Amino acid sequence: MGFLSPWFLAGAVAVGIPIYLHLLRRHTTTPQPFSSLMFVEHRTQSSIRHRRLRYLLLLSLRLALLALLALAFASPYINRPVASASGDKLLLLAIDNSFSMRAGSRLADAKRDALSLLADRNPAERAQIVAFGSQVSVLTQPIEDSATLRAAVESIVPGDSRGSLGELAHAVRSIGQNVRAPVELHVFSDMQKSDMPANFAEMALPDGVSLVLHPVVKSAVPNWAVEDVNAPGEVWDMKKAHVQAVVAGYGTPAATRSVSLVVNGKTIATRSVAVPAGGRASVEFQSLDVPYGFSRCEVRIDSADPLRADDGYMFAVGRFDPQRVLLVHDASDSRSPVYFASALAAAAASAFAVDSVSVERAANTQLSPYAFVVLSDVSSLPSSLENDLLRYVRGGGGVLIAAGTSSARRSSIPVFGDNALGSHYYSREAERFMTVGETDSSSPAAGKVAQWAGVRFYYAVAVDAANSRVIARLTDQTPLLLDKKIGEGRVLLLASGLDNLTNDFPLHPIFVPFVERTARYLSGTERRGGSRSVDSFLDLRTAKEQAVSVEVIDPAGRRPLSLKEATSASAYQLTQAGFYELHLANGRQDVVGVNADRRESDLAVIPDDVLSLWSGKPKEEPPPAANAGREPVRQPTKPYSFWWYAMLLVLAAAVAESLLASRYLGVQREEE
Amino acid sequence: MQRFLDPSVLGAISGLDLVAKTVVDGFVAGLHRSPDFGFSQEFAEYRAYSPGDDLRHVDWNVFARTERAYLKRYRGETNSPLTVLLDASNSMNYTSHGVSKMDYARFTAASLFYLAIRDQRDAAGLIVFDDEVRNYIRPSTRQGQLHRLLSGLEMAEPRARTDFAKPLHHFQEFLRRRGIVLIISDFYESAEKIIRTIEPLRFHGNEVVLFHVLDPKEIRPDLGEPAVLVDLETRERVEVTPEYMRNEYRGKINAHIEALRDGARSAGMDYHLLVTDQPLDGALREYLTIRQGRN
Repeated sequence: MGFLSPWFLAGAVAVGIPIYLHLLRRHTTTPQPFSSLMFVEHRTQSSIRHRRLRYLLLLSLRLALLALLALAFASPYINRPVASASGDKLLLLAIDNSFSMRAGSRLADAKRDALSLLADRNPAERAQIVAFGSQVSVLTQPIEDSATLRAAVESIVPGDSRGSLGELAHAVRSIGQNVRAPVELHVFSDMQKSDMPANFAEMALPDGVSLVLHPVVKSAVPNWAVEDVNAPGEVWDMKKAHVQAVVAGYGTPAATRSVSLVVNGKTIATRSVAVPAGGRASVEFQSLDVPYGFSRCEVRIDSADPLRADDGYMFAVGRFDPQRVLLVHDASDSRSPVYFASALAAAAASAFAVDSVSVERAANTQLSPYAFVVLSDVSSLPSSLENDLLRYVRGGGGVLIAAGTSSARRSSIPVFGDNALGSHYYSREAERFMTVGETDSSSPAAGKVAQWAGVRFYYAVAVDAANSRVIARLTDQTPLLLDKKIGEGRVLLLASGLDNLTNDFPLHPIFVPFVERTARYLSGTERRGGSRSVDSFLDLRTAKEQAVSVEVIDPAGRRPLSLKEATSASAYQLTQAGFYELHLANGRQDVVGVNADRRESDLAVIPDDVLSLWSGKPKEEPPPAANAGREPVRQPTKPYSFWWYAMLLVLAAAVAESLLASRYLGVQREEE
Repeated sequence: MQRFLDPSVLGAISGLDLVAKTVVDGFVAGLHRSPDFGFSQEFAEYRAYSPGDDLRHVDWNVFARTERAYLKRYRGETNSPLTVLLDASNSMNYTSHGVSKMDYARFTAASLFYLAIRDQRDAAGLIVFDDEVRNYIRPSTRQGQLHRLLSGLEMAEPRARTDFAKPLHHFQEFLRRRGIVLIISDFYESAEKIIRTIEPLRFHGNEVVLFHVLDPKEIRPDLGEPAVLVDLETRERVEVTPEYMRNEYRGKINAHIEALRDGARSAGMDYHLLVTDQPLDGALREYLTIRQGRN
């Protein structure tokens, strides 16, 4: 028992007041006039004795009243065991099954502690089991059935997601609102530091929840992991493909680790890398020899640490032939093909091969083999070629038109169809050139305005943009990049050239990603293969691809999507580490390697003072050496203030005192 | 009408004349018509004039008709002078409910005067005393007598102590003519001494009535706790207990009352106890009964 405000106990000295008034103060009586004392005799001793005896109960009540008042203001409390604090409370067991719980026997220890707690609980007490990683899985409802609760605990398997104590606190807040009873939360976890949210306030628990922590480890464990792998998702030229891996050590001494590149289960290369103490080291494999189609690759290290699951990093690589691109230009223009082909080769890792032809030679070209076509400042276009291009676009093809100075001689833009309203000639001198003023960042072909900074435009064709979507404008509001859908295909119009004469666009870094985005947009191919993180989302379809069935096969070979989800889900959350095989709505196939969030590899634990702050209990003495590494399960206590009980007694004493005092001191009725 | 005789109601009325009129009118209206009581001068007989008779009583109408002088005699002519001896000692100032014993005595005396002068055509006088005679108004039926008597009552403020022996000889000087003598007092003296002191008044053929005025709390005190009582006359202080006042005191005061009553009867006097929370009609009825007996 203790007092929250002990200095109020000093008020107890006020009990001396009634003692003085009742016993110590000399009795004084106001004299009463009387007609004559002829028949009155003196009586004194009996009156004092009677007064003392009569008021003894009143004195006791007044002493109790003052003492209880001082006691109530001092806020007394007693430490009561949390488990016995309330009979109608919920025992909520939260077991961490995040990726880090795979280390050693952490999950088994947590489950054993949980089962022990369940065995010790009152059978009439309701309990609920939840498992938490990045999300909270409710395994049971609040029930009393011990067998069901034990089965729920035993069914928990280690996951690959990242632990989140913030999500747990959020879920507990919801549970606390629903059960409308005190909740005793027991958290069985490795208390990984990376599980904490950025804002500690997100871990706050509501008033009715008392927290008891059961950490399965006490200190950090050294761990090596393959932190990241940089590898192409698709390769077209084996000579250009290489793999770069980063090996990280968390709380580790300096050591040399052996790093292997495994393709489809076969180790094709091995390197040794010296990893500094608690640091990182990168290792590079110069070639990636994979067969056609998708290959399941992995970079592995030999670590001998408790967490083996992060010793490998999985990624998928698809090998395909390069797609061909037709670039049509004027015979006199030799600059555009060079700039465009160089940018495409640099950006898309040889996914595209450019065929440059002049207008005259392109007249009878078969367009169907090409992924898309580029018309670079073509002054005149043969009608047969224009008709072929229109048919090509309407059939789903893509065309990029760069409108250079020659376009000014035509009234309309070929293939694009809209009128050229005129030409804007800006000056190279005196800062009278134009720059990009605004872009539509939602378009895959355009970037942000900041990326176009410094690109100078000296010439632009003014095009009627009434029938097309403007993706970028110059600062004088002249449309620079326009997108127009024709049939099933698309046409992009750049209102300036690609030749470094009407602008200096090809000389700027933005030119390479612009060419890559444009090529992928027009060819309809997006990056495939590669790797993702657990808990990330995979786009299954676009808004236009509704009602088209997709298929997801998880690392265990199961199809996690139901038939309804397969026709309606727009995204899928990757929940397991391993290789996912996807059949997407656009008909293409893809394979991705999924790896656990590498923040889980850092096995540093939350400091004790932070845990104490979270659980609302003062920091405790370290456990005996015999139990080092594991905190013993103990009976938690919580202070319960009972000042309002004292106030109730004060009220009762006040009422009794009033009744007794009025009876003693009030007007007495005649006693005949 | 009873409420007009209630002392607490009368205490709210300013002016003794109004109090007396209210009491008497209320009292008279409540009486049954009875042959025992006459309220006006009632014709009795004619008597032949003889020298020395008061010429004011000659019936001049008969003389005009018969040329003989006759005196007209009335029954009321046998009047009884009323003298009220009012105790104005300090003990009469005691009260427990708003109307002090002195107030009650004033109301009683005023009502008796009003009844005697206005209704019975009796002469009325007043002697106010404590340890000596403080005021004396000779009994008379003259115009303004009632006003004088009431003024005398108004001026009779309690002071000093009661002493019956000292003013006794003054009483005997004043009460030479036979009549009715009413003594209004709380009689805080031994019953034997009181009777012995007052008894000589009876020897002159006076009808003597003792009106013993007491407050209800003097008869039935109810102290809630031990208290110090102060004597209003001697200023003496005595601490008493409720038990004593409830038991022993009551026995003593009751014995005193009985002793007074018995002593008065033995001496041929009447005794009447007036409690200040009781109506005033008891005193008036006593007076009329005595007067009727004298006619």
